[in-house]
Amino acid sequence: MVTKQNKKDNLSYTKTAYIYLIPAFTLLAIFVLYPIINTIITSFKLDYKFLTGAFTEFNIRYYHEMLKDPVFRRACVNTSFIAFVCVPASMISALVVALALNSIKRFKQLLITLYYLPQVTNVIAAGFVFLLIFNKNFGLLNTVLGWFGIEPVAWISGSGIAGSAELYNQSYRRCLFVLFVYSMWQGLSLKVILFLAGLQNINPQYYQVAQLDGTSKLNVFRKITWPLLSPTTIYIYVTSSITAFKAYSMVVAMFSEKFGPPGDNSKMMITMVGYILEQLGDYLKPGAVSRASVAAVVLMLIVMILTALQLGITKRGVHYK
Amino acid sequence: MKHKLIFRKSLLYFFLIVVVILVIIPFYWMIATSFKSEAESLRMPPTLYPHKIIAGNYKEALLLAPFLRYFFNTCTVALFVVGISTTVSVLSAFAFARLEFPGKQMLFFMVLTTMMVPQEMLIITNFSTIARLGWLNTYRALILPFCINAFHIYLLRQNIMQISDELYIAARIDGLSNFRYLLKVVLPQIKSTVVTAMLLSMIWIWNTFAWPNLVTTQDNMRLVSNGLKNAFTINSSIRYDLQMAAATMVTLPLILAFVCTRKYILSGIVRGGVKG
Repeated sequence: MVTKQNKKDNLSYTKTAYIYLIPAFTLLAIFVLYPIINTIITSFKLDYKFLTGAFTEFNIRYYHEMLKDPVFRRACVNTSFIAFVCVPASMISALVVALALNSIKRFKQLLITLYYLPQVTNVIAAGFVFLLIFNKNFGLLNTVLGWFGIEPVAWISGSGIAGSAELYNQSYRRCLFVLFVYSMWQGLSLKVILFLAGLQNINPQYYQVAQLDGTSKLNVFRKITWPLLSPTTIYIYVTSSITAFKAYSMVVAMFSEKFGPPGDNSKMMITMVGYILEQLGDYLKPGAVSRASVAAVVLMLIVMILTALQLGITKRGVHYK
Repeated sequence: MKHKLIFRKSLLYFFLIVVVILVIIPFYWMIATSFKSEAESLRMPPTLYPHKIIAGNYKEALLLAPFLRYFFNTCTVALFVVGISTTVSVLSAFAFARLEFPGKQMLFFMVLTTMMVPQEMLIITNFSTIARLGWLNTYRALILPFCINAFHIYLLRQNIMQISDELYIAARIDGLSNFRYLLKVVLPQIKSTVVTAMLLSMIWIWNTFAWPNLVTTQDNMRLVSNGLKNAFTINSSIRYDLQMAAATMVTLPLILAFVCTRKYILSGIVRGGVKG
């Protein structure tokens, strides 16, 4: 039975609780919840005018158009390249580095700090440095390659690509390589830290038993480290691929707002977020905001599917019990 | 046996040091170029270190673009974002962790769901909200959308839940109000998580590019990333020496801040992940 006093007490709890939540939920409503709903609705508005808010009808035409848009396809290919090539590659190297770090004691903290630096470096600054390193004439990379007798390579150049498909593909491959090197450098740090934390969470008793049994190093990794590390691995993969799907600043820093090497007009290096922001840049043009919204909705769906996958896999539990 | 062990160890260190060198090279190249003269920065092949150190590049970079203004803007925005978002997050995290009220589960689920939605999706509507309010080129536009962070609410809630119930009951019996309990008991105990959340916000603001680029068109309202992006390209030829000096100035404060507060930042990152 609830006494009168108790009830009154509960009521006052309720009131204070809501007062604590008001600031957070006001901001959440204006800057998160409303935008989600509004973006979904806007993506269906045909000829939506930004200034007046007028539109002709609700239609899925922009979704159709976007799927056929070659620039959007390119954005999907480039984004997938980051998520499915760069991310796994940097994960493998991060795991190797973390395994090495885990078996040393001296200078460990210093090394961790140094590995982490790219993560706290301004993206634009880092992008510019890479641009300079990959410069054809006075870049560091070509200088080093020159020591081995390799001719200077025009890493980021679009000269002559308009007329020749072969030159275009060559230029594209080189730009992807620059992007790959940059994402390896940038992404390694965070993954090393997370892998290391995962490795340190593994109960050392497993290793002691394996040592008593005389299990080989390779088998210790295959039978103990890898399975017990799998929740960490999945977590890192999902969060990194979500970050990859949001890639934008690094591409702008290296390939400018035109999303390509100088001389390229096809937006060779555009990403999904790049596509959204580029559409939004023309916001005064009827329909532009809707097109941006369409791409944003697709991006949100991809990120949500990835997150749901992660939650699903982690809940089922992939580790030994 | 012992020799073999030493050999293995040195191989390990050799590998780790090679990786460190690869990680450090861009930083080295940035700083080295920032001290070169204009002519030297364009020399082919490049010099591997500045033959003549030109410290004046830093001064020239500061004069060429209003970098002090960018720094001021970024610090102002960061200060407000850190202040507001920390207050907002602590208050709501406390309510979710400690208080009972109808709809608690549903509201918390809502906060968690928004963690899944990419910020980049919100940009479109937030831009039109800000534009309609006539807030383009204002600090408000740069500050407010960054003040809500579901991840920090989640992180702080987990931490507050670890504080024992007895403490709360004792405090209430002693007649301490919820707010006083939050200030006197909870805050001192979650101090390190609060500091972590503040630092993560600061790094975020320092490096953010897309949103400020969208809502500021005037040069005197830009943040460091946007300023750096737009400066130093004069008649399509780039002054690499000045650009690298500016890049160094943008990068160093954050690196110094990180080195001093490493413990907090790394613990926050790890807690957000593996155990979450």
